[in-house]
Amino acid sequence: MRQLAARLFDPLLDGLADVGRTGWFFLGMLIALPRGLTYPRELFRQIWFVGAKSLIIIMISGLFVGMVLSLQLYYTLSIFGGTSALGTVIALSLYRELGPVVTALLFAGRAGTAITAEVGLMRATDQLSAMEMMAVDPMAFVASPRFLAGLIAMPLLVAVFNLMGLFGGHLVGVSWLGIDNGTFWSNMTSNVSVWKDVVNGEWKALAFGALVSLIAVYQGYSAPPTSEGVANATTRTVVSSSIAILALDFVLTAFLM
Amino acid sequence: MPESTTNRSDPAVPMVQVRSLTTVLGGKVIFDSLDLEIARGSISAIMGPSGTGKTTLLKHITGQLHGDSGTVLVDGQDVARLGREDLFRLRERVGYLFQNSALLSDYDVFENVAFPLRAHTKLPEDLIRNIVLMKLQAVGLRGASRLMPSELSGGMARRVALARAIVFDPMLILYDEPFVGLDPIALNQVLKLIRTLNRELGITSVLVAHEFAAIREVADVVHLIAGGKRVASGTPSELARGDSPWTAQFFGGALEGPVPFQYPAPPLADDFGFEEQRA
Repeated sequence: MRQLAARLFDPLLDGLADVGRTGWFFLGMLIALPRGLTYPRELFRQIWFVGAKSLIIIMISGLFVGMVLSLQLYYTLSIFGGTSALGTVIALSLYRELGPVVTALLFAGRAGTAITAEVGLMRATDQLSAMEMMAVDPMAFVASPRFLAGLIAMPLLVAVFNLMGLFGGHLVGVSWLGIDNGTFWSNMTSNVSVWKDVVNGEWKALAFGALVSLIAVYQGYSAPPTSEGVANATTRTVVSSSIAILALDFVLTAFLM
Repeated sequence: MPESTTNRSDPAVPMVQVRSLTTVLGGKVIFDSLDLEIARGSISAIMGPSGTGKTTLLKHITGQLHGDSGTVLVDGQDVARLGREDLFRLRERVGYLFQNSALLSDYDVFENVAFPLRAHTKLPEDLIRNIVLMKLQAVGLRGASRLMPSELSGGMARRVALARAIVFDPMLILYDEPFVGLDPIALNQVLKLIRTLNRELGITSVLVAHEFAAIREVADVVHLIAGGKRVASGTPSELARGDSPWTAQFFGGALEGPVPFQYPAPPLADDFGFEEQRA
């Protein structure tokens, strides 16, 4: 009985302990953040690495998500004779939900795993210890710039994703399915609110950027210095980030509605 | 520049003083009231059987680890009592050569050596370039300044790490296994560098190594550590004579002696089930 209880509760307690450790790590990183800003070269390098290098996958995914949305929604709206609202529904879906959430999931898979693997290997090959020995705080030089880069890059990537999604939706809806171009844009611009829809989506992007970057850096930083340790940490980054993004999305949506 | 060049140190005080250091890690006693001194301006070697805590001792000297009791003084400062800022200030005057070189894999050779300069100074780019190239020239790798760490051999990486460790002309350099995996040419180059840095710049050097032939060439003093204590100290020739059971076994390479060959284990009969077979 005791063994069964231990088997049930131990993973839960381990998970809670991990959340606690991530919190402490976050606190340490916040303290190191001002010193992290004294390494602008590293910050720009990281923005390039997590932002610019994620552009292709974000653009292609955005395009296809917009195209699929257009097809599915056209079919659904045509049942009710409301195909003129296609542009509005695509835009609202992208700005409010799909843009931030899908971009964050892609960001976790592309940039998050790369950050974890890189930081984990830096730990395994004593590069972090070498920095400590050169009187350079790795929290300021390694963790903070990567966290900040995620925070800066995510809202921009979401904006690009949304733009490509709208383009894809327009391509299918107007060029292929024959919706009127003027109706598509005018309905969209009159029903989409910049502050309620676009900006709220960007707040979500900011929160997801912080969350994914924190998880990725923490997992790399605390990875055991072995090949298996780094591999497991990379997997944990994707799993934890995905769950955390979806859970946080629900909370944020409830607050921002 | 950090304070590396303004040495406030008292020449009479040893560079490193380890007093009654006791450390227990994972239930295992690593140091049991260890006492040891490293004289200023000397080349000292720390030797001992594998797993005896030689690298751990270097980590105590640099404040990466702290003992359960006892003190470690570096340049007269108790490392365990230093705050983070003071510890970092001390580390700016200490070079550390890692066993695996620990070069930053995203940066080329030039940027690796320039890293501490960029992190701690606001020197103009021209001056940083000159200092880095001078240090690389000293280790014979000026021509390799634009290579990435992945393009270097083990010996070259060690020399780049050495150039990075001496970029601030430190008062103390700690070498962790500097001779492992080096071919005879690279080994001689590293030995020559250690000697030159010590004689020309007066840098105190501490080497952790197993290669007694190399240590004999370069070290002034050898400290032999075993069982958590310093069991012998002296010049390489004195220790090579093997006057004590420890030195006789260690430098003679004998299997039997005070250092057991076998890791502590239950009786052989228990593991192989001899009793059951007999029954």
